[in-house]
Amino acid sequence: MKVEYINPFIKATVNTFKGFLGAELKAGKPYLFDKGNNDIRYDISGIIGLAGDVRGSVVISFPKLVALKVVSDFLSQEIKIFGDDVIDTIGELINIITGNAKKDLENYRIMISLPSIIKGPNHQINWMQGVPVITIPFESKYGPVYLFLSMKA
Amino acid sequence: MKILVVDDSRIMRNILKNILKESNIDENSIIEAQDGREALNIVQKEDIKIILLDWNMPKLNGVELVKIIRSDENLKHIPIIMVTSEAAKYNVMEAITAGVTDYIVKPIKGEIVKKKVQEYLKG
Repeated sequence: MKVEYINPFIKATVNTFKGFLGAELKAGKPYLFDKGNNDIRYDISGIIGLAGDVRGSVVISFPKLVALKVVSDFLSQEIKIFGDDVIDTIGELINIITGNAKKDLENYRIMISLPSIIKGPNHQINWMQGVPVITIPFESKYGPVYLFLSMKA
Repeated sequence: MKILVVDDSRIMRNILKNILKESNIDENSIIEAQDGREALNIVQKEDIKIILLDWNMPKLNGVELVKIIRSDENLKHIPIIMVTSEAAKYNVMEAITAGVTDYIVKPIKGEIVKKKVQEYLKG
C-alpha cells in the first residue's frame, strides 16, 4: 500500500472530528495490522469500500464506551443504548472521512460505497486478501479511536 | 412551498431540519426522504421550493436524481443544493455537470446552509 494514501485519511479523520464534534484527535504512528494476532479492542466499526483507481476499504473502529461518548457529544444528548443512533452516526463519520480524503487523492478516480456497520466485541472484518492493513491509532477525549486502511491501486 | 431534505442518514436529516428550523422555516414545510427514489416521488407530487440532497444513497443516488429532475420540464427549475461528503474536485464537477445549483461539503456548517437556503428562497 502506498504511503501517499495514508496522510489524506489521517487529515480527513482529524478534520472530521473537529468539524463534526469540535474535538481534537491526536494521530499515533501508523503500523501494520496483524490480522492473526490483533490486540486492539473494539465493538463497532464503520466500513467504506473503495473502487476505481484505488480499491480496498477504510474502517473506523471504536470501543463501545467511546462510540457512545462520541455519539452523545454529536447529538448533544446522553446516548446509553448501543443502537440505531450509534450505527447512523458512525456510518456518517466514516462516509465523511472517506469523502473528504478523496480531496487530497485527486490523482486517483475513486468511488466510495455506502457505509456498512459491524457491531460486536472484537468482530472480524473481511479484509481484501493479500493487501496489508495499516492501523492508525488516535487519542481523543473520548478514548481510543482506530482507523484501518487497506488499499491497492 | 416545501423544502425537501434527502439523506439516507436519519441523523443528518435531523441536523439539516434543525438548521432549517433555526432559520425560521416552519417544521411543517420540511419534507424528508431517505433515498433518491423516495425523493423523486415526493418532488412529482409536492410543490418543492428547494432540495437539500445527499449524493451517496441507496436505490437512486443524488446525482442520478439531479439528472432526472433536470430533464423534466415541470421540475427542472427547482434549486438543488447538494450536501455531501464527496469533496474531490472531479465529484464537484460531476455534480455541476448533472445540474446541481450549489454544493456543500460535509461536515456542514449551519451558517453556510442557512445562508444558501435563504438565498434560494429569495431567488
